Amino acid sequence: MHDAERIYVTDSMYDIKKIRNFSIIAHIDHGKSTLADRILEYTKAVTPREVSAQMLDNMELERERGITIKARAVHFNYLADDGNLYDFNLIDTPGHVDFGYEVSRSLTACEGALLIVDATQGIQAQTLANAYMAIDNDLEIIPVINKIDLASADIEMAKREVEEIIGIPADDAPCVSAKLGINIRDVLEKIVTDIPCPKGDANTPLKALVFDSYYDAYKGVVVYIRVLEGCIRVDDTVRMMHTGAEFDVVETGVLSTFNLQQRDALYAGEVGYFTASIKSIADTEVGDTVTLANRPTDKALPGFKKSVPMVFSGIYPADGARYGDLKDALEKLHLNDASLLFEPETSAALGFGFRCGFLGLLHMEVIEERLEREFNLDLITTAPSVIYELDIKNKGIVFIDNPTNFPSPDEIETAAEPIVKASIITPAAYVGSIMELCQDRRGIFIDMKYIDTDRAELHYELPLNEIIYDFFDALKSRSKGYASLDYEHIGYKPSKLVKLDILINGEVVDALSFIVHSDKAYARARRIVEKLRDNIPRQLFEIPVQAAIGGKIIARETVKAMRKDVLAKCYGGDITRKKKLLEKQKEGKKRMRTFGSVEIPQEAFMAVLKLDEE
Amino acid sequence: MKNNLSVYVHIPFCVRKCNYCAFYSLPLCDERVMRDYTEALIRQINSIKTERPVTSVYFGGGTPPVLGVGALISVLEAIKAGFRLSDDCEITLEANPESVSLPDLKDYRNAGFNRISMGMQSSNDRELAILGRRYDLSRYKSAVRAVIDAGFENRSTDIIFGIPEQTIESLEKSVMTAVDSGTPHISAYSLSIEKNTPFYNNRDTLILPDEDTEEEMYYLLCDILKKHDYSHYEISSFAREGFQSRHNLHYWDCGEYIGFGTAAHSYCKGKRFSNIADVNEYISLSTGDYFSPTDFHVQRYLSDTDKREEAIMLGLRTDRGIRADDELLAKSKKYIDGGFAKIENGRFILTEKGYRVSNIIIAALI
Repeated sequence: MHDAERIYVTDSMYDIKKIRNFSIIAHIDHGKSTLADRILEYTKAVTPREVSAQMLDNMELERERGITIKARAVHFNYLADDGNLYDFNLIDTPGHVDFGYEVSRSLTACEGALLIVDATQGIQAQTLANAYMAIDNDLEIIPVINKIDLASADIEMAKREVEEIIGIPADDAPCVSAKLGINIRDVLEKIVTDIPCPKGDANTPLKALVFDSYYDAYKGVVVYIRVLEGCIRVDDTVRMMHTGAEFDVVETGVLSTFNLQQRDALYAGEVGYFTASIKSIADTEVGDTVTLANRPTDKALPGFKKSVPMVFSGIYPADGARYGDLKDALEKLHLNDASLLFEPETSAALGFGFRCGFLGLLHMEVIEERLEREFNLDLITTAPSVIYELDIKNKGIVFIDNPTNFPSPDEIETAAEPIVKASIITPAAYVGSIMELCQDRRGIFIDMKYIDTDRAELHYELPLNEIIYDFFDALKSRSKGYASLDYEHIGYKPSKLVKLDILINGEVVDALSFIVHSDKAYARARRIVEKLRDNIPRQLFEIPVQAAIGGKIIARETVKAMRKDVLAKCYGGDITRKKKLLEKQKEGKKRMRTFGSVEIPQEAFMAVLKLDEE
Repeated sequence: MKNNLSVYVHIPFCVRKCNYCAFYSLPLCDERVMRDYTEALIRQINSIKTERPVTSVYFGGGTPPVLGVGALISVLEAIKAGFRLSDDCEITLEANPESVSLPDLKDYRNAGFNRISMGMQSSNDRELAILGRRYDLSRYKSAVRAVIDAGFENRSTDIIFGIPEQTIESLEKSVMTAVDSGTPHISAYSLSIEKNTPFYNNRDTLILPDEDTEEEMYYLLCDILKKHDYSHYEISSFAREGFQSRHNLHYWDCGEYIGFGTAAHSYCKGKRFSNIADVNEYISLSTGDYFSPTDFHVQRYLSDTDKREEAIMLGLRTDRGIRADDELLAKSKKYIDGGFAKIENGRFILTEKGYRVSNIIIAALI
């Protein structure tokens, strides 16, 4: 195709000045999904009946947790007070620290963002982090004060916080009740008047940002893009600038509420999708730049990062016979989640399973829950691990994500672990308790400032290893649920790390090994052996439970032998009751892993993961 | 399959429920309910027709004598009329020391009852009070006298160990009291705290023997009884030569039986079922179609797997054990090495140590 032929813009509908691309930034539960629903309802993109489930969160799990895991986008029209019909693209963002990179890419696809602030709670850490990210991306931010229908709403406080903490005017911020649909039109008008239309020239070479994708069994990968420059149309050969992969476009279109709406082309400023019979989602990484193979743009969009798993854990089927099912399930999830890594792993204790890599702890929990729910699998997971950087004698630098491979102390020259900078916003009353928590988790205090008289923002440097277990739970329980957390990776630091091995009946159970800072090894070891003692049912023989570092036992407990387990009475010939009890016992055994002559229940493996529960 | 049947009759009434009892029973009801219940029992008995020989009949409860000597005998008469009782049929009556008198016992004996199972539980008055039993040692002794005088040679005595506040010494006395009474059969149960019992509800206040003591009690009891010629022929049963409970052995042999009365269980034609556990419902159902022979409340039709598993579960309760095939031998080495089981004459049999933890072993083998 010659350049001369590419005198495009023939689509009479296309008018870049009438496009508004925006996203919604909010803390969990501050009403993001509800506001999105109301907007879609108001603009007739959906009928109220269809909103029965919140539109933008497609997954059951997301709704339950009130979080959005994968970004979605929706296109709809709005007839504004100025008499013009606008093309709106609402780009949803994932709302959790694990997905910070995805959020940043989604924001790059927008010119503006609605910042929802709960009038009853004010600004939270996550809102703040995402708001800063939006500001960094030069987005126009429209504060929206939500939940004004609640008696405890304090609109002035919320506005003041927006101005003082984020530093943007909030004087004429729309005050809404997403729940009751109050003042929704104000928000829509604000989008028209305050958010700038996209810039871009449809006649220059194609430059489009990939901000999400999913696998469709019929079309292959459906790639969500924001066209920044140029135009993409059916039959174009496109190139993914980072992966280098090339594809022939089969379909392009916009994302309407319930389906993909085909269009012949997408032009600069527009948000939509394309398909190209792409088999693997790994070819369409979020943040990559799409251009034309025969007329490429000169520079890819900045800011591309390969998604890198930070947290690793072994996942095993509770019933070893279901290894194949687990494999299929992981493969299916991977189709839509390129950041989920997995490779086969064998454990002496747990048999065949997979070493899986996740973006973070939430990502891990979500995957585990989906495996259990959607694929009906019963899982045993091992303690999560981060990637350690070790300098091993005579071997040099190695990276280790599995405690099993961690060498004994005398082989290690130096060890380093990943560190994050954590930002915690909490009501002032819990500052002491949270500082204690951070201290306990080897945190290094950076600073603290009071956001207002009642709330503080704390910054700590924390080893990632310390927050992947249950830091978030502990934070919530210490703050009655009010503290919020955000973190970013800031690199590796040397640390005195040791591998703690757990021996049951004298043998190391590989799946229970984990890495710990040497100062905390003893306390952790004590708790683990106690927890195991309580969670391993008594058996015919006494079972020693020990914790060791490099062959040296540092803690020991004993699971006493079962003394009595007998059904003596047989009332009125009631054999059935006896049988049922034994069947229950037998059923329980199925959930156990036989290790040597010892049976270890699934619960024991899980219990050591939740060490810090009171 | 063995052709002979056993018959169980359940009398759910007690003067007062004991503190450890979780079984379906009622405190003493008024005369009318007991009369209606007797009639209902007889109606259910009359609804069954079979030519299969009956080798044991067991009246259990509850406290069967509470129904009254006349009523119990009329129920036994109905059984005799409707079933072919073998000449040596074992006919057991469960009783408590306070529920029997010499004249009544003579009547029972004359009516055909030939075995009395009496719950002594303990010879220590304090322990009896804790258990909620309504008699003391002297009452028990005179009851034993009456049972012997009425001509019952075949007697069984229940003992409980692990009673709150029980000591090794008091258990030893209880065992010796039973032995001295000349009873040829003893059932010894370790106290278990079942849900929905006063013991369970007050479990935090109970001073139970610790597990070392409880275990010592078990072995002591086994030793004493062995020394006095009782064989430990079943998990909780000890008998002198010729006095094993035919009725219970029939259960452990996977024999079939019919249960009459509320909450009674049956095993017949490969099905296990139970009657409704509510006296009034039972009575009212007995006037309808409920008792047509096919219309029991079916609990479970036993598959071949069920039968095989039950044979293991029940067989391992006795000193006859189960046949030791290669598969079993492969699985059971650790139990034999650990002293929990032994192989004798090609059979896999639990030891005294094994009986104590039989659930674990059975669950591993089924």
